[in-house]
Amino acid sequence: MIPEQFGYSAPSSLGEALSLLQEHGEDAKVLAGGHSLIPMMKLRFAAPTHLVDINNVPGMSYINEEDGKLKIGALAREVDLEDSELIRSKFPIFIDASKLIADPQVRNFGTVGGNIAHGDAANDHPAVMLALNAEVEITGPEGKRTVPIDEFFYGFYMTAVQQGEILTEISIPLPEGKFGCAYHKLERKVGDYATAGVAVALTVDESGTCTSAGIGLTNVNPVPLRASRSEEALVGSKLTDEDIARAAQFAAEDCSPSDDLRGDEDYKRHVVKVLTKRMIKKAIDRI
Amino acid sequence: MDKRKEIFPHGIPGHNLGEIEREIPNDEPPAWPINDKLKVVGKRIRRNDALAKVTGSAKYTSDIQLPGMLYAKMLRANVPHAKILSIDTSKAERHPGVRAVHVFTSDDEGSKYQDVKYAGQPLAGVAADSLDIAKEAVALIEVEYETMPFVIDTEEAMKEGAPLVYEEPIGEQTDGGDVGVTHDGSEGKGNLRGPTTSSFLGGARGDLDQGFSEADVILDRTYRTQVHTHVPLETHGVVIDWKPDQMTVYASTQSTKGVRDGLASYFDLPKNKVRVICEFMGGGFGAKHSAGTFGPMAAELSRKSGRPVWLMLDRKEEHIAEGNRPNSIHHLKIGAKKDGTLTAIQQKSHGTAGVALGAGVGRIAQGLYTCPNFSTEQYDVLTHAGPGAAWRAPGNVQGAYGLEQAIDEIADMLKTDPLVLREKIDPSEVRKVLRQRGAKSFGWKYRPPGSDTGRIKKGIGVAQSTWPRFVNLDSTVEVKMYSDGTVEVRSGVQDIGTGTKTILAQVVAEELGLKAEDITVRIGDTIFPDAPGSGGSIVTGAITPPARNAAYLVKQKLFNQVAPQLETEPSMLTVSDGMIMHKEDASKKISMRDALRRMRTGQIEASASRSDDYGGFQQPWGLAYGDLGSVQFAEVSVDTETGFVKVERITAAHSCGRPLNISQIESQVNGGVIQGVSYALYESRVMDNKTGHMMNANVDQYRMPYAKEIPDIDIVLVEEYSARSSTDAYGIGEPANIATAAAVANAVYNAIGVRLYEIPMTPASILKALNKVEQ
Repeated sequence: MIPEQFGYSAPSSLGEALSLLQEHGEDAKVLAGGHSLIPMMKLRFAAPTHLVDINNVPGMSYINEEDGKLKIGALAREVDLEDSELIRSKFPIFIDASKLIADPQVRNFGTVGGNIAHGDAANDHPAVMLALNAEVEITGPEGKRTVPIDEFFYGFYMTAVQQGEILTEISIPLPEGKFGCAYHKLERKVGDYATAGVAVALTVDESGTCTSAGIGLTNVNPVPLRASRSEEALVGSKLTDEDIARAAQFAAEDCSPSDDLRGDEDYKRHVVKVLTKRMIKKAIDRI
Repeated sequence: MDKRKEIFPHGIPGHNLGEIEREIPNDEPPAWPINDKLKVVGKRIRRNDALAKVTGSAKYTSDIQLPGMLYAKMLRANVPHAKILSIDTSKAERHPGVRAVHVFTSDDEGSKYQDVKYAGQPLAGVAADSLDIAKEAVALIEVEYETMPFVIDTEEAMKEGAPLVYEEPIGEQTDGGDVGVTHDGSEGKGNLRGPTTSSFLGGARGDLDQGFSEADVILDRTYRTQVHTHVPLETHGVVIDWKPDQMTVYASTQSTKGVRDGLASYFDLPKNKVRVICEFMGGGFGAKHSAGTFGPMAAELSRKSGRPVWLMLDRKEEHIAEGNRPNSIHHLKIGAKKDGTLTAIQQKSHGTAGVALGAGVGRIAQGLYTCPNFSTEQYDVLTHAGPGAAWRAPGNVQGAYGLEQAIDEIADMLKTDPLVLREKIDPSEVRKVLRQRGAKSFGWKYRPPGSDTGRIKKGIGVAQSTWPRFVNLDSTVEVKMYSDGTVEVRSGVQDIGTGTKTILAQVVAEELGLKAEDITVRIGDTIFPDAPGSGGSIVTGAITPPARNAAYLVKQKLFNQVAPQLETEPSMLTVSDGMIMHKEDASKKISMRDALRRMRTGQIEASASRSDDYGGFQQPWGLAYGDLGSVQFAEVSVDTETGFVKVERITAAHSCGRPLNISQIESQVNGGVIQGVSYALYESRVMDNKTGHMMNANVDQYRMPYAKEIPDIDIVLVEEYSARSSTDAYGIGEPANIATAAAVANAVYNAIGVRLYEIPMTPASILKALNKVEQ
């Protein structure tokens, strides 16, 4: 439970942080909330030689509405989501997710940006971001670039954030028309990673026809998974029980969970089906 | 010894309370009336160590700090079966801060080291200036193994040609309590040992063929339970200071005497050269009766270094090496007539206690119900896994899980309320009352299995248990009164956490007309008189009678001194509310405090040992079979989409003779029920059959219940007087745990209409049973 030795810097600007990352090369890691990184270091699954702590970089903890988008700064913490009136009124899916992440101590410090940048399909925000069609802003020595969430997750612990870069902002298009969203994960016990989790975001038109659907799955695939066939099954439908059941069935078929102490593959597929159905209905209820 | 006759209360208040005449030793006190006439006994008395525990001033074994103390860590085998070719400790010995290294060797001819029989077996140990240094040094020890084939899975181990755990006969398991086996392990074939075919209740009886031919319905089933490891808050461990004149051992133990005798025997020391102290105990469920291997290791390291050595196990070591509740594959064939009468019970079981013995399924099927034709065969299956040990009602929990579901299934076949069937076949008068009062409190109203509708289905279930009245005669208590008014109780008995310290104060206070807080209780030290280990739910029934009797004797001594001062005879004196007074003349009185101040000596004392039960034992070594059982009722809800089971509430109806402290009894029942729920739904040792390692040796993946998963627990306590001793009280630690898993299993069946036959009942296994997920 004791990490390998490492160096530590706490820059006070983004520029300084970037040059430190440049200086220390591939063995440097960015430290935000630290609630994924530090446990991995303690278990010696990770042994970075230098940590660049960005907590002192000002102006990165915002949650606001700008240019028709919800913007979340990389240092916004889980607890900030829970406290945000904007989130509460327009994106209750974040409250659903945040409430299920670990415990209050972790949520007081863990960041939304870190939850995504860790590149772990067991984390909860990746599925939520997939459902909401987020875009991720990444800042590097060359400046800023924006990556759609579908192109963000590369593999196990691998993301579009390259060496020397920092995830700086997440932006989510504000929904047009009638919108509903919901997230839930089934946990083996409180605070555990998901046995399986499902995020759903829907818009419907005046006639009740589904005009867009986003469905993301947690911890049932090597990388966070968009349930595309399920989305397609919903768009253009009237969201009848039959439509919902079909979408749920597709999600169960299209994921590829692995056996572990949380359950075997068949069980997890079943859980995905049940949760997809429940979250679609919950999202509809919230429209 | 001279005896006299006394009249005792006998029976159950509100049901059949009467009186019985018993012949008792002359030096024991007259009968107490039933509890509502007593002042301290039978009340909700606060634990006398509560303040010390909640403020942190209580020092547990791991808190012990001695001058010059070293910290030790053991090296454990990382393969499940091997011969050890060499152990090289040279790098560890040279590591800065290391003060002693010890390697376990073998006395066997031909090999220097003991063969490895399970992954986690201790091989060597290091004592160093800090725990970190000891851990670093352990990592520097180099072991060369010659690995051998191994077998982890119980059914694989039973097959012919499976890798053998032992080539030779093995001895009986010694670690504690009433283990669920009576054979000595010498007979058997391959990895099988046994069978056990009898218990103190007898052996096979009647004629099975005849019994089955008389049956209208026959049930033939196999029930399976998992390996359940020990997770007390405090792990096993010791601090040992071996000085030339005495080895002092601070131990987290259920038996100070057991640890003393074990270490004295291991090192060939006189018993009085080993002193074992356990003032506060962080819990144990049966596996903490001996010095284990860590005890001798710490002693060797202390001897080599000449310093005190601290050796507490970590959670992983606790899981893999310090005992577990063996699994069971429990086959029951039961015949019954249409009216419910049982005609035959045939029981056959297999289970593994890893490299140890003790995997029987107890006496529940033999003793709970009337059935003229019975036979049992209980086998131990040896596997290359950590040793089993006694675990809260050894064997009986596994046994009840099978039998009490079988009885439910028979009720189903006969289309009758399972509670009504039990009324028909259960001869016990106590359980009749437990069923009546329990059912009323629970609101039992039978509903057919699977009759609830909707996504979340609710169900109810009931299960029963029985437990013997074990007594250990090696139970001695000394009571001293000092001239300053102090009263002190002394015994070697340890308080495992159940509240032994408090009930000793209560019985002595009641006898002396004082308050419980007036009594100082000094226990958990082998310099005091010997007392039994905390196993078999023995302690309350064994130690409280001599405590009361010693108080009675010391009171007589005081009366002898006081009587002349009050110008009366000692026999005319009595005590009440801190006063000694004449039974008939209220003007003749003196406070206890003044009487003690005027004593001729600074202190008076008396000691007493447990006498035979009034009315005699059924077994000469100290057993009166009886119904210290329970009837537990469960209500569950099952989410048929996710497979999650929530135990909503449990009504636990119990009897334990004369209740001594209602709050402490309730604590035991709460704990027993919670552990039972956990056994039914969550806890399970997961082994990797490919490597032989335990995969969930921590408290994250080894699933245990969380606060919101604890049911509402409603306790119905039935007073029952049997006039067997001067306190007529018994323990309840084990009975509290026996019936719960079966009651929960029956309730799950009642909810969903499908039975699982195996615990833990995980969400995945529930969905499989419902055919929602592929088998």
